[in-house]
Amino acid sequence: MPLKILVTAKRVEDSESKIRANPAGTGIVLEGLKYKMNPFDEIGVEEALRLVAKHGGEVVVASIGSKDCHEQLRQALAMGATRAIWVNHAGPIDQLGVAGCLMKICEREKPNLAILGKQSIDDDQNQVGQYLAEWLGWSQATFASKEESLDSDAEKSKTPALKLTADGAWVTVVREVDGGLETLECKLPAVVTTDLRLNQPRFSKLPDIMKAKTKPLEELTPAALGVDVTPQLTVTSMKAPPARKAGIKVPDVAALVDKLKNEAKAI
Amino acid sequence: MKNPLLDDRDLDFQLRAVLHADALLTLPAFAHVSAADLDAMLSTWRRFARDVLLPTYRPMDEQPAVLRDGGVVCHPAMKALWPQLVDLGAITASRPLGVGGQQLPLTHVTAGTLYLMAANLSANGFAGLTLGAGHLIEAFGSDALKAELLPPLYEGRWTGTMALTEPQAGSSLADVRTRATPTAQGHFLVSGAKLFISGGDNDFVENVVHLTLARLDGAPAGTRGISLLAIPKKRRAADGSLVANDVKVTGLIHKLGWRGIPSAALAFGEANDCHGYLVGEAHQGLKYMFQMMNEARIMVGANGVATAAVAYQQAVAYAKDRVQGRPPWAKDPAAPPVRLVEHADVRRQLLRQKAIVEGGTALVLRTAHLADLAAHAAEPAQRHDTERLLSVLTPLTKTFPAEKGFESCALAVQVHGGYGYSSEYPVEAWLRDQKLNTLHEGTTGIQGLDLLGRKVVADGGEGWRALARAVEAGCVRAERASVPAEWTRGVREIAGVLEEATLALAGKALEGDVPGMLLHSADYLDAVSTWVVAWLWLEQAAAVHEAPLRTAFHEGKLRAAQYWLATELPRCRQLAALCVAGEDSYAQVPEEGW
Repeated sequence: MPLKILVTAKRVEDSESKIRANPAGTGIVLEGLKYKMNPFDEIGVEEALRLVAKHGGEVVVASIGSKDCHEQLRQALAMGATRAIWVNHAGPIDQLGVAGCLMKICEREKPNLAILGKQSIDDDQNQVGQYLAEWLGWSQATFASKEESLDSDAEKSKTPALKLTADGAWVTVVREVDGGLETLECKLPAVVTTDLRLNQPRFSKLPDIMKAKTKPLEELTPAALGVDVTPQLTVTSMKAPPARKAGIKVPDVAALVDKLKNEAKAI
Repeated sequence: MKNPLLDDRDLDFQLRAVLHADALLTLPAFAHVSAADLDAMLSTWRRFARDVLLPTYRPMDEQPAVLRDGGVVCHPAMKALWPQLVDLGAITASRPLGVGGQQLPLTHVTAGTLYLMAANLSANGFAGLTLGAGHLIEAFGSDALKAELLPPLYEGRWTGTMALTEPQAGSSLADVRTRATPTAQGHFLVSGAKLFISGGDNDFVENVVHLTLARLDGAPAGTRGISLLAIPKKRRAADGSLVANDVKVTGLIHKLGWRGIPSAALAFGEANDCHGYLVGEAHQGLKYMFQMMNEARIMVGANGVATAAVAYQQAVAYAKDRVQGRPPWAKDPAAPPVRLVEHADVRRQLLRQKAIVEGGTALVLRTAHLADLAAHAAEPAQRHDTERLLSVLTPLTKTFPAEKGFESCALAVQVHGGYGYSSEYPVEAWLRDQKLNTLHEGTTGIQGLDLLGRKVVADGGEGWRALARAVEAGCVRAERASVPAEWTRGVREIAGVLEEATLALAGKALEGDVPGMLLHSADYLDAVSTWVVAWLWLEQAAAVHEAPLRTAFHEGKLRAAQYWLATELPRCRQLAALCVAGEDSYAQVPEEGW
């Protein structure tokens, strides 16, 4: 049975840009920032493409945001996704709104699998996948990772880390846990969130970059999906961590012990 | 810190704010291309260059290719890199749709290529040479030859080379001796030796095609008797299989830089069984090569810029991080030391590199932009005019990034102090690599002769006038944008000085004193390059003034423009005076005086 996999492609600030809190402490300075696809999502796209290459089927990529996020949708299409869904929404949105939109998209698309980044590198919330599985009533496996293998790099880049059982009804997921790996079997449909070691995403081929614009891109809105995305959370302040203070020199060990005891209260 | 290779802000600024390069997409040739395609291409190439290519640079530099059992064994990294470079479009991005290319503007492809070159110029070199070989066949080959050779080259199943140089004929191609004898079957039997053939063999594809200059039997002497032949390492047998074609690698050159790509000595026809296939017509080889020269020379300029850029980025990061010494006026020896970037002379070294790198980038991209317009502009008159300007700028684009880029790489070493001289730090390798760019594709000396002896005086000085008009248009742009008036005035004054010098030198030639005209051709090239780059800094300053917002990046641009206009442009006056006066020190040294 061919697979249908929903993946996400969130537009996030590039971690190579300089990220600073704005003076008012209400958010970050946007001027001069570069953007890219959330690296965890990119790993999700890659894994979905490998699964589809093995089992057949299609990969549908979704993103929520202003028209700017077409860049990330196009990247996923250039990597090999079949079609894109753009939820056109310009204002703020929190994880509940995102999970709500994705839930409605899953209800419409009925994928066998939704593969999401475990978190996005802008807000680092790590919640959307869990909400989505809970609300849909699907099984879930978070932090999908990969067992070390001795395969060549070329072989590794073909093999999916997520494995379907022979009857196609279950997915086996290796996940990162404290101090090791855990293997779960989830009944499909399922939500899987990706960790960094799952795979190495591919670079798009130039002919595929050129073809991406001819692939279908459907426009939706939260309203059309019937989702109220009014944020339930408010950012009250945002600031950089305090700068590290300069060190001092102490004259002798006694003074050091005194300071550790009475100032730092470390001993 | 990961070296970013080039400043993304600068590439974006140069393409969008300075050149308005996306306007190329209104041309019919690029109707299939969107700005988003180009952004996606650039960002993919950039990421690949940083994440994949750069980490392979040092290992390939340290472990050059070797000759084993008659074949060249390249660094094992190339096996994995090559298919990825092919998929990325490093060979075909600018080639026409009809031959399997993507037909993207050369301007944007060149910008993307800068990243590949900066990350690993040798690895990209294989792609550049394959593109060059394919382009020659595409432009001049018969349909049969195209059908046989183009698909494997453009699909990256085979690689290509340019086999011009011979042991006795380096720059002087008129002295090429490789012979080609016609046969009744249509192919030629080739015999001869070639030297310094970059990418002359490898072990990561099944075949290599050498685009070779040779003399057909009975050909006239000199440049009019040279033909272009395609000579594969393995030829197609009657049953369709590939068999050895009597092409032997006789040795590999141990060299200063570009160690990731082998430079081979080749012998054709030692067993009298080397088949070559004529490309185009007999005796037209040099003409064909020269028609390809523009793009090849832009690519050498791009290599120069890219190599200087990656070294500059390394120097900036080091200077911002490394703490060393105190300002000369600091009295307290216990005061904390400062970062290198706080020392006045280090700042000068960095700004000079920035001015060279970004000025060179502007020159390379401007030239690529002219090449796009010369090939695809709607009006024939515009194509003709751009072609004229392109031909004048080409020797500058080839030379400035190579000569000044070498100085820039040396400054990057200087910023690192003694560590820069050590192979623990990467800057020394870029300095070594950079040297080749003043040598290949026509030495700096040849570019000087080309500019003064041919390009500016062509058609009664039409070449010079095309350049002067372009610079004046830049001055007008700067005036409109309210760039400081003395900057624009400086560029205009030197325009006058150089025009006078050009007229005086052309006058010497008209009076029959060609040696007198060319005595200081290298200084003439230096003066015109310096002035042209000043013009391009003026245009960058104009683009800053045109921008709605002023950022720290823009401020840096203005200071680099100021630096070039204040410290370099005035040199043009003295250089022009040397050219005109015919200062004869080097001409007058007696043989035994050396």
